[in-house]
Amino acid sequence: MADVAQPVGILKQVWLIAGLRWRLLHNSLRRKQNRLDLLGLIIVSLLAGTFVIGVCFALFVGASDFVSSGRSSWLSLFFWAIFLWWQLFPIIAAGFGISFDFRTLLRFPVSFGAFYVIGLAYGLADFTGLAAVCWIVSIILGAAAANLALLTPIFLVAVLFVIFNVALERLLGSWLERMLARRRSRELFFAVFILLMVSVQLIGPFLNRYGDSVGSWLPRVLPYFAYFPASLAGSGVGAASEGHYGEFALAVAGIACYAVFFGGLLWLRFAAQYRGEELSQAPAPERTLRNSVGRRSEMDALALLSPQVAAVVRKEIRYLLRNGFAALLLLLPPILVFALITQATLFRFSGAASGTSPELVFPGLMAYIILILMAPAYNSFAYENTGVQTYFTAPLKFRDVLLGKNFVQVSLIVTELTLCIVAFYYRVGLPSAPIFTATLAAIVFTVVGQLSIANWSSLSFPRKLAFGQVHGQRQSGMAVLVAFGAQILLFGISSLVLALGRWTGDRWLPAKAFALLAAAAFGGYIASLDALTSYAEKKKEKLIEALCR
Amino acid sequence: MTDLAIVTEKLTRRFGALTAVDNVDLRVTAGQFFGFLGPNGAGKSTTIKMLTGLLAPTSGRMQLLGLDFSSHTVEVKRQIGVVPEGMGLFERLTGAEYLHFVGRMYGLDHATTLQRTQELLEFMQLADRPKSMIADYSHGMQKKLALAAAVIHGPRILFLDEPFEGVDALAAGALKALLGRMTARGVTIFLTSHVLEIVERLCSHVGIIHQGRLVAQGSIEELRAGIAGSEGGKTTLEQIFLSIVGQSGGERTQIEELSWLT
Repeated sequence: MADVAQPVGILKQVWLIAGLRWRLLHNSLRRKQNRLDLLGLIIVSLLAGTFVIGVCFALFVGASDFVSSGRSSWLSLFFWAIFLWWQLFPIIAAGFGISFDFRTLLRFPVSFGAFYVIGLAYGLADFTGLAAVCWIVSIILGAAAANLALLTPIFLVAVLFVIFNVALERLLGSWLERMLARRRSRELFFAVFILLMVSVQLIGPFLNRYGDSVGSWLPRVLPYFAYFPASLAGSGVGAASEGHYGEFALAVAGIACYAVFFGGLLWLRFAAQYRGEELSQAPAPERTLRNSVGRRSEMDALALLSPQVAAVVRKEIRYLLRNGFAALLLLLPPILVFALITQATLFRFSGAASGTSPELVFPGLMAYIILILMAPAYNSFAYENTGVQTYFTAPLKFRDVLLGKNFVQVSLIVTELTLCIVAFYYRVGLPSAPIFTATLAAIVFTVVGQLSIANWSSLSFPRKLAFGQVHGQRQSGMAVLVAFGAQILLFGISSLVLALGRWTGDRWLPAKAFALLAAAAFGGYIASLDALTSYAEKKKEKLIEALCR
Repeated sequence: MTDLAIVTEKLTRRFGALTAVDNVDLRVTAGQFFGFLGPNGAGKSTTIKMLTGLLAPTSGRMQLLGLDFSSHTVEVKRQIGVVPEGMGLFERLTGAEYLHFVGRMYGLDHATTLQRTQELLEFMQLADRPKSMIADYSHGMQKKLALAAAVIHGPRILFLDEPFEGVDALAAGALKALLGRMTARGVTIFLTSHVLEIVERLCSHVGIIHQGRLVAQGSIEELRAGIAGSEGGKTTLEQIFLSIVGQSGGERTQIEELSWLT
């Protein structure tokens, strides 16, 4: 029996896993659904690739200019931008990540070394990592084009910077997952977020009152940033370009220390996982959930809805509140909006941007919130798992399920929009009545218009997502593409209507047009429910198969 | 004439070139405890999925409680309960929340749902963990909950796909008693199981499906009588099953020598 137990080297194991990934992809393409998914992913990747390539050109030109003009240390700015992108974007756009959870490899005799290397490699294999690496390569090429002697130093700096970023991103993601999997830490995390949201509002008045003293603080604080990896990377390249190799060596050593430190922490984190810790299946503590059934006996708050729709609404709300990552994503838009409002307020206080006007900012912010909040609706069965079968065994029409899900979606949007409108009114002021009315009507039009398309997309391109996980998640490529197309279409129509208003000089024209469009979208939505009920019946096998697998 | 709870006529389901269920004509009388048997991949789950509305047949007809399934889908579903393959649970709800959800989905009023939820949780011995999420239940607890959800609306036909898999002996005993009482009250139970002893003990009638075709159907006594060359003693269901499926299926009866295993 023991004759099979031949030790397998790290490289061989990594190679085997690469082969496994290829085989999984290859076999998955036998299904039409997966082929469509891949097609969607390729199209979305092409669009994202355009953005990445655009930034690549900018960084190439910028790096070349900095080096040729003797300002090599200014490359720190680029490294800071890449650092922020690498650490923050994965949280916002985890849906573009990879769909294979490398922790499933634990059942094989994978050595810890291979497990660690594969874990790091997966940090490089997502959109964020690939884009960042492309940009770093552009900086290297730009700098080398201006001064070929810099190629080796900047390459060394870049490699260490990449290792540091991958390790930190994997570590943060891993801890975030672990934290959001537990109720107490999740609540604490959300409390901090809400405090942050409130405190962002105080930055404006604070700077307004203490702006001068803050201004004098800034030069004293900025030098400390020099000790962070992004600054070290820039200063290291700068030192190398001036022939100060001692400083260069110090900078490289500094980045290496960061890489080793975070790589070590990640080593400990992965070691815990390697020993069998399952991050996202933290036990639901006995004290975590109040007995909601008992509480319901006092009053049925959803009595106005049919029992089936109300049941779906309750289930959706519970799932949302218990899915830490999804809930976090819902908190992000208002936070960013508050931050933007504060920025706008700051500009107004300083008089630097006298053109900042609620007439433009208000519709823009509302469009942004809808863009973010509508995205999950395009794969709304993602977390149902085998439970989706209940929808088909229960004596109901599928329209009830869609209505329940859409009700929760719309309620969330309304709540967040209301919060943002109140904050906007408080900090900036409302736009004129025609713009305000037109924006509200446009919101109804775009939300209701998208709901019908999103329902269709959810039934057509379902993809199972793991509850509460940050890593190893990827939305259906086609669903992302449909969402993208629908949003471009609806926002395109909206822009056209706004342009028409400006062209005719009739300030109330957009409001009237959007009201008409909203009514049409609403009619279309109601009409679509029955059609989608029949469609769900046709698609149920694929839906169940995709979610129960 | 006896009331028929389940009738299928030439029920067929194809997946591309594969015919998973081939012209199956089932007859299950109301109040029967019917065991549906077959080797792996024979078409049991496909049949049960079609009978519960999870899968559309390629051709053929299904009648449940005298109603045509395709034209009275909602009415039929209202009167059946299902423990599907994989149990179909929403794992991020608590047991009580899930039962409440299912009760409301079947149109029970609020008070009745609450009362039955509580009773079922106590009966299934799940009431002591009211705040745990289903994801944290053991497999056996999940099975019990799935069964509780299947009966909360008082169905007239109960479809159970491997209901005793992973359930401990104590709970299994209670479940069997419950199912026995349900059939005594006229509920029809249609179950699939790989444990032939359980089927033999519980079911009065069985159907055996093999390679998509219904190869035997009737009471266990009828099947027993139909087995040629049965030994003098009482033939077990396992022997009946093997005699119908084992040899005809062309499965390997001899274990190939796997020399490297020893």
